[in-house]
Amino acid sequence: MGSIAAILAISRWEVKRVLSQTTRSVLPLAIVLIIALVIVSGFAAQSGVHLQDGIYRLGVNDPAIASLFASDSRFNVYLTDTATLRTYQNSYNVIIIDKKVSAAKTDRGTAALKALERGYQRYIGTLYSSENDLFAAYPLWIDQQYVQSELNFQATEGGQYLGVRPMTTNPYPDGPVEKVSEPVSSLPLPPDDLRQELVRASTKDDPLSRYTDVLKPPAEMGNVRVPSQLTPSLPFDSIIAVFIFIFPLYFISQFFMMSIMGERLDRRGEPLLTTPLHPYQILVGKALPYFAGMCIASLSIALAIGGSPLLLIPLLPVMLFFLATALIIAMLARSFKELSFISIFFSTVITSYLFLPTIFAHVHIVSLISPLTLVVFQLQGEGFTLTDYFYSTALFFITSGVLFFVAVVNFKEERLFGQGKFLTRLMEFVEDSISREQPYLSLLLMNALLIPFVFMAQMMLLVIFFNLPMPYSLVLLICTAALIEEVAKSVGIYALLSRPGALVSFKALGVAAVVTALGFLAGEKLFLFAMLSQVTQSVFGSVLFLSLQVLWIPFLLHLTGVLIVVLMLRYGGRRAYGPAILLATLVHSAYNLIILAGVM
Amino acid sequence: MNTRHIWLIAKKELSGLYNEKTIILAIALQLFIAMFSSFLIVGLTTMYDPSALSRFSGISYGIGYAGADSPLPGYLEKEGNFRVYRMDLSDAVAALRERKLAGVLYVPHTPPAGEDPVVVTLYLVQNDLQSSMIGSRLKDAFSAYEGDLRDLRNTCLTVTPIDLLFPAERSGGDFFEFIYGLLIPLLLFLPVVISAALIIDFITEEYQLATLETLLSSPVSFPDVILGKVGAAVILVPLQAGAWLLLLAANGVTIAGPIEVLFLVSLIAVVLICLSALIALHYRERTNAQTVFSVGLVIVLLAVLAIPQNPVNMVVRIATATAGPEQWPVLGLLILGSIAMLALVRTYAAYVGIKAPLKEG
Repeated sequence: MGSIAAILAISRWEVKRVLSQTTRSVLPLAIVLIIALVIVSGFAAQSGVHLQDGIYRLGVNDPAIASLFASDSRFNVYLTDTATLRTYQNSYNVIIIDKKVSAAKTDRGTAALKALERGYQRYIGTLYSSENDLFAAYPLWIDQQYVQSELNFQATEGGQYLGVRPMTTNPYPDGPVEKVSEPVSSLPLPPDDLRQELVRASTKDDPLSRYTDVLKPPAEMGNVRVPSQLTPSLPFDSIIAVFIFIFPLYFISQFFMMSIMGERLDRRGEPLLTTPLHPYQILVGKALPYFAGMCIASLSIALAIGGSPLLLIPLLPVMLFFLATALIIAMLARSFKELSFISIFFSTVITSYLFLPTIFAHVHIVSLISPLTLVVFQLQGEGFTLTDYFYSTALFFITSGVLFFVAVVNFKEERLFGQGKFLTRLMEFVEDSISREQPYLSLLLMNALLIPFVFMAQMMLLVIFFNLPMPYSLVLLICTAALIEEVAKSVGIYALLSRPGALVSFKALGVAAVVTALGFLAGEKLFLFAMLSQVTQSVFGSVLFLSLQVLWIPFLLHLTGVLIVVLMLRYGGRRAYGPAILLATLVHSAYNLIILAGVM
Repeated sequence: MNTRHIWLIAKKELSGLYNEKTIILAIALQLFIAMFSSFLIVGLTTMYDPSALSRFSGISYGIGYAGADSPLPGYLEKEGNFRVYRMDLSDAVAALRERKLAGVLYVPHTPPAGEDPVVVTLYLVQNDLQSSMIGSRLKDAFSAYEGDLRDLRNTCLTVTPIDLLFPAERSGGDFFEFIYGLLIPLLLFLPVVISAALIIDFITEEYQLATLETLLSSPVSFPDVILGKVGAAVILVPLQAGAWLLLLAANGVTIAGPIEVLFLVSLIAVVLICLSALIALHYRERTNAQTVFSVGLVIVLLAVLAIPQNPVNMVVRIATATAGPEQWPVLGLLILGSIAMLALVRTYAAYVGIKAPLKEG
């Protein structure tokens, strides 16, 4: 109980400090800024976004047609006579002469043509939706039904779409045939409601509303569309979820980062360190107000856009992860510039890790590795299962825990007020996380716990290489995955080598290498077993997690990699690290390629 | 004002950045975003226009067809993208589930010239890249059929739209707006925002790490120190933005008027960096300054983008070679604005001097 009281005391103190500091100096300006923000967003909502204004030149000889496209700010519409249009047709991107459209055969001409065509469709749409006889204007409706296919992952992986080959005779299913009753030919809504939906759909074409629509519950029309509405959902939509939910989290984590950094300026945190409090109490206490702030912010955003408070659940691990990284970065940085750069860098990486997979929210199972996909699902009223939740958040929970542990271990005078180089400091942090009494046990655990980080990095690669042409993506993936694993394995030993008296004898080196390989392998196995079965079914999965089949071969592989690095470091010193990692990667990649060739 | 002193300070800041090696992170960041965007472009091209990758051009997809006769099979097979099989509905859906088909169509027995809508049911595989890829091809066939049905029923229609004749569909151009209208401004203004945040660090660091007095014991005046820092932050912008343009050019995306674009971006950077220098000079403490700056940045960005012919739009227009004479007043205003902002920063720096940070007493 005493420890909770201590944590709360620290929290109270932190809140008081922040409040007294900001109320005095920022509050007056904050009020001005908020008023300005309201005015400006009102102005922006009215005036629209003028980013792509006038990027196309449209030449027309008919004022009636010119007026059709006058409202589209992307077009600079020039109304002149036919002769001028013909003479200067190269200075326009699209020209319409006597209702005949022609466009320059450039990328821009084609883009302008497509934009023009969409605008024309919109015009037709608004015209027809005001017709009395709706089903004469819109005679054809398409009801999209989706069937589940168990072959999901294998058949569509990595840019290979070989599933369907046309046959000369009718394809006939091999398995049992379920009776599918003939669909009833009817529409879900009465004509007047359909008309309203059509009008709504045709007027909301500006780019902004397309994004904001993601946050609304699904339309009442269900899966029924008229042909012109039949477009695949645009993948950028999920970016709005990123901005709306992730940005505030990032923002709040910055305050936490600065608060920790503040303790390090002028050795200000010294009194705090002399208290009998354990570092974890101090850190949890300091983090708690920011965590609460994140929860409140996310909850109010969720409620403001009409989402359910359940949205908080998939965001929870993201919050913890942001706080943990902020903590580590604030403890590592030597200057404000470094703080800015590292935090911008990591937040970009994290944001893309969160954002990239959600592009495929409805297309592909890979999207589930991001908790944000769950947010998108929840927003669209689909919900998610416990397995989904575990699958997409486990990495975040584990990595945040590990980062927090490293921070707690290193929250002491010599680390906080030291001024070494960034990488040196990083190594010191790692070295301190390795126990002095039980270095080998630590090494074992550490390598097992590094697995989530390795997987996060490899998942990033998977997502990035996913759409490259097949052989290149595979080879690139093999080499970079091997590189990441070799670097990860070397971290512990590299740090330990800097400890005086550690790993002097060959026996000690050997034990350290064996322990490292064991820990890494154990972590890998456990992790795969626990959660990644879905991904491992694919060819990509089997590249990343190749070493699953037989136990002793991957063990030898990991051991070889570590031994190469250890021995070269021992004889070549620090300089040998780069070549050592490269050599180990080479061996590792070669092994993977050979195994894979056998598998395929 | 002593230009030599200003240059000296700028050099000091730049070499500080270089020594800390954090600039490497900044470059890594930009490379990362480059990968990110190339992923988006390559990935989306394959998703929306499969023929953009040559290996898809020859493939035709199987479609199961059940129910009443219609012209749809003809439209589907016309382009050679689909092969239509007439099948029993249950068989077809089962075959789809086994991925022997790409989709299944059921057309009801609704009379085409009647009053009721024709509701066609389309079965697709859920969560599938292929489903989204064939979507756009299916749309063409459906639109053609919709046109037929409209013609049959047009006695009930009251208005006739202006008829425009479009040339045959061609591929390409899908990413023009994305690249030129979104990606390029984003990549060009990323360095501006980074530098504007950086100047806050440059300035507040001197106050909070108490290094200012050492610096001022040299013959450099305080306003010159600040201008030097502004200079260092500004120089980084065209360097990074220029590197972006080169990288884009290497990827086959070239822009018109790169020099003018860089000049314009640098001027915008001067204004924004000066603004954030003023904030930093006011607070002389990082947390508050960065907070106010971030909120201020959002306000400025929203306001600027809402104005027609704003500088960002002008950059887009110059890059796409659609800028007319309207660019000159914008350029003129920006030049005047940057000079005014620099003067303001100088005056304010002289006024603030080396007072203690505006916080805890």
